[in-house]
Amino acid sequence: MIEHEQELLERSLAGDENAFTALYRQRQGSIFRFALQMTGSVEVAEDVTQETFLALLVAGKRYDASRGTFTAFLYGIARNQVLRRIAGRKHEALEEQQGGEDPLEDLTRRETVDQVRRAVLSLPPAYREAVVLCDLGDASYEEAAAALECPIGTVRSRLNRARAMLAQKLGAALGVCNV
Amino acid sequence: MSDDFVLRKLRALREADSGWEASPEVETRLLEALRHRRVARTWRRSATVVAAAAGVVGLLVVRQTPVQTPVEVAPPARVVLEVPPAPALKPAEAPIARPPKRTNTAKFKVQPVTAAEVATEFFPLMDTPPPFERGELLRVVVPAETMRTVGLAVSESHLNDPVQADILVGQEGLARAIRFVNYQQ
Repeated sequence: MIEHEQELLERSLAGDENAFTALYRQRQGSIFRFALQMTGSVEVAEDVTQETFLALLVAGKRYDASRGTFTAFLYGIARNQVLRRIAGRKHEALEEQQGGEDPLEDLTRRETVDQVRRAVLSLPPAYREAVVLCDLGDASYEEAAAALECPIGTVRSRLNRARAMLAQKLGAALGVCNV
Repeated sequence: MSDDFVLRKLRALREADSGWEASPEVETRLLEALRHRRVARTWRRSATVVAAAAGVVGLLVVRQTPVQTPVEVAPPARVVLEVPPAPALKPAEAPIARPPKRTNTAKFKVQPVTAAEVATEFFPLMDTPPPFERGELLRVVVPAETMRTVGLAVSESHLNDPVQADILVGQEGLARAIRFVNYQQ
């Protein structure tokens, strides 16, 4: 956590609206995408983002920079919010994003992206969160380990296993054969 | 199939999702929640201080049991004293250094005047209070400015006027809610 964010957090906890807005705008994108990639639902991702920052206003005073980065702390809160919601819930289709110049290329790219998204969403949560944090998000292994409350070695092994599962799923979906 | 293949696909998904952000409504709702928390916290602090002060002062603070609204209370009675005119004294009978005689003929007529106590609703001082088991109501006097913090209108010229308030203190000793009291003749 950079010093500026530490100050923003302290001022936010003291009720400073401008500081909270600045902190939210810096971090909401990564939290929203983490929730989106974990749940596949825009609605749930917005809900998780909101609840994460509300929880930060309460739990923020417990943040200790010597025990981990702010990124890991925030992902940890978001993860708890996500896990409460994904149990027994099916993901819904994402709205289409605006495409580029070539409709055919866009369609192909979207299909590929959708297949990867479906493959990620089909992973068991423990593997999915490792991939979403480290491969799709901006968390380091250390930050992922702190957020997932497990050793770094576990993060690495989950990532390896998750990538192997994804390779299998995507190979089947995209018609790639092992040689 | 190598890790590179999977990582390429994941990178494509990461790039495709890079533009996703929460809608502006989320930020609006969060800022509203922050403002609400700020008001509640200000109230909680001031009410806790007032309640603690009231507890320490104890007997000096007017303390009443929970009252219903409106409640008829008996304010200081208006007393009309009828004293018969003093009899004219002869110079020879004029008392010198004689203590005045206490008259027993004075007649008291008590005309009670009733005043109705009018109270506002209770305004919460805690966001998520613990379950309420028992508590007590403390009657305190606060500046009228305090009413502004719960959104009640107070004109600038009356900000320092004393206002009576009831603070509901829970079993754990925390101030849970406050209401303001006024009297109507």
